[in-house]
Amino acid sequence: MTAKADSFGIGWRPELAGGILANLDRIDVVEVIADDFFDAPGSHRRALRTLAAQVPLVLHGVTLGLASAVPVETKRLEQTARLFDDVRPRYWSEHLAFVRGGGVEIGHLAAPPRTDATVEGAEANLERARRVVGVPPLVENVATLIDPPGSDRDEAEWIDEILRRSNCDLLLDLHNLFANATNFGFDPLDFLRRIPIGGVAAIHLAGGKWVGAGGERRLLDDHLHDVPDPVYQLLTEVGARAHRPLTVILERDGCYPSMECLLVQLERARAALREGRKRHTARGEEAA
Amino acid sequence: MNPFDLRGPEFLIFYFVLSAVVIVALHRYRQVVESGPPPKIDLADPYLIAYLRAGESEAARVALVSLVDRGLLTANGTTVVRTKGASPKSVRRPIEKLLMERFASPAESTSIVADSSVQPAVNEYRDTLTRLCVLPDAAINRSRVTSFLLAVAVLGGTAAVKIFVALSRGRTNIVFLILLALIATAIAAKVSFPRLTARGKSLLLDVKLLYSGLKERAGPVASGGANADAAMLAAAFGLGALTGDSFAYAGALFPKATRGGWSSLSCGTSGGSSCGSSCGGGCGGGCGGCGG
Repeated sequence: MTAKADSFGIGWRPELAGGILANLDRIDVVEVIADDFFDAPGSHRRALRTLAAQVPLVLHGVTLGLASAVPVETKRLEQTARLFDDVRPRYWSEHLAFVRGGGVEIGHLAAPPRTDATVEGAEANLERARRVVGVPPLVENVATLIDPPGSDRDEAEWIDEILRRSNCDLLLDLHNLFANATNFGFDPLDFLRRIPIGGVAAIHLAGGKWVGAGGERRLLDDHLHDVPDPVYQLLTEVGARAHRPLTVILERDGCYPSMECLLVQLERARAALREGRKRHTARGEEAA
Repeated sequence: MNPFDLRGPEFLIFYFVLSAVVIVALHRYRQVVESGPPPKIDLADPYLIAYLRAGESEAARVALVSLVDRGLLTANGTTVVRTKGASPKSVRRPIEKLLMERFASPAESTSIVADSSVQPAVNEYRDTLTRLCVLPDAAINRSRVTSFLLAVAVLGGTAAVKIFVALSRGRTNIVFLILLALIATAIAAKVSFPRLTARGKSLLLDVKLLYSGLKERAGPVASGGANADAAMLAAAFGLGALTGDSFAYAGALFPKATRGGWSSLSCGTSGGSSCGSSCGGGCGGGCGGCGG
């Protein structure tokens, strides 16, 4: 069975609004992109509060740039804090990525070099985020098409170090993990073994597509396709290893299928996690 | 300075300013008394939303169009009849059951507008919205009446004293003051007794904002009851929001209600997508990747 408080939801997009609102009996939680509301008019903030009165919300940030030697902008943290106070979400999350440097916005969630400098930068930024917002974010692993040059450790070690030093929990994006594992030839199960799995609090599911040709093919996490089977299998693995309740969010940013199609994917996620929970319980009983 | 000693035109300016202050104060008072945190309501019920926006007749109109869209009723010009083989048992909401029974034999679509027999089927919506203080309850109505009477006492009393003073001084040019007093009282009444409470008005604006994505892609909204999008679009924005040939019948059924739809908005929103929409299907487009 699924852990009592496991919850399943979808990322809020205006194009999906009708479908989401019409199916709140099948959706436990809705994820809202925080940055969309930083400079939004008061009416949009109020509408968000009305949405929060109907269904639990979680906030997801995309522009803080936590994993960077560059300090996070205070203004953005304060905007996050105000939105957090306004909406009272279950949690807020942000990526372990860098998005700007030297005054240049790169417009992308880029994977930084995995070094002491970025571990320390992330630790400092997460401490600032915790102080300003009042609550630490869940941090999310990102997908990348190139192995970050200048790295002196792999992704699992880098994330493990940041989580341990910052005391933050992880929003584990399973498609990002699957894409990175596919593109760089590592075993995603080994990744799961090496990160503090007890710190996984939330899951992102998404789809992607192949880009490039021949030996240069890469799996691109584009959020425009259905969740592939291996990602559900990874969700089962997480369910079998992690015992805490998880919030599972399906991300879709375009090429929208019918709402029913998205709900079917959400149901598959429920089934996959339930399967993992069963395995976890069976393992516990065997040990007892 | 005693304002009642002011000459006619000057007093009219004074009275105009006084009226404006009283009306603004009335409005502000109502905002304070009737506001509240967003309530939890069933945002998936199109008839509740239609009732919130425009009352029982609108809920009935949206229900009728929804039933036609789902093929349970058949529209032929301005006439509607239950589709052969369809049964009231196949719908679950009272307003839908009532309409399925009502149109067992052909009848004019507009016969449901302002029809008292519709009332019991939508009472549930009225009660729900009243309980949530979205529609005024007895306490709010009492507060509205009290504040309105106070405003009338100030506006009417001031005008009456000035008229008395003017007449006692042998002046009879009081028509403009009477007219201004009547206009100010009418505006005060309008400000005091809107259909929705301040909380309800905010909720309606929020619902429209939450559903604005539907409005922006109104062109390709699926007909045929494929999903609830068409009903929710009509509920939140009115029948005029249902554009395209597949909803042309709605205009014939309720020409007044669909007039002023935003056909211009639908232009340009229906094409251009290269995406497939089937489960497991591919997608022709693509971006530079999200990474997140």
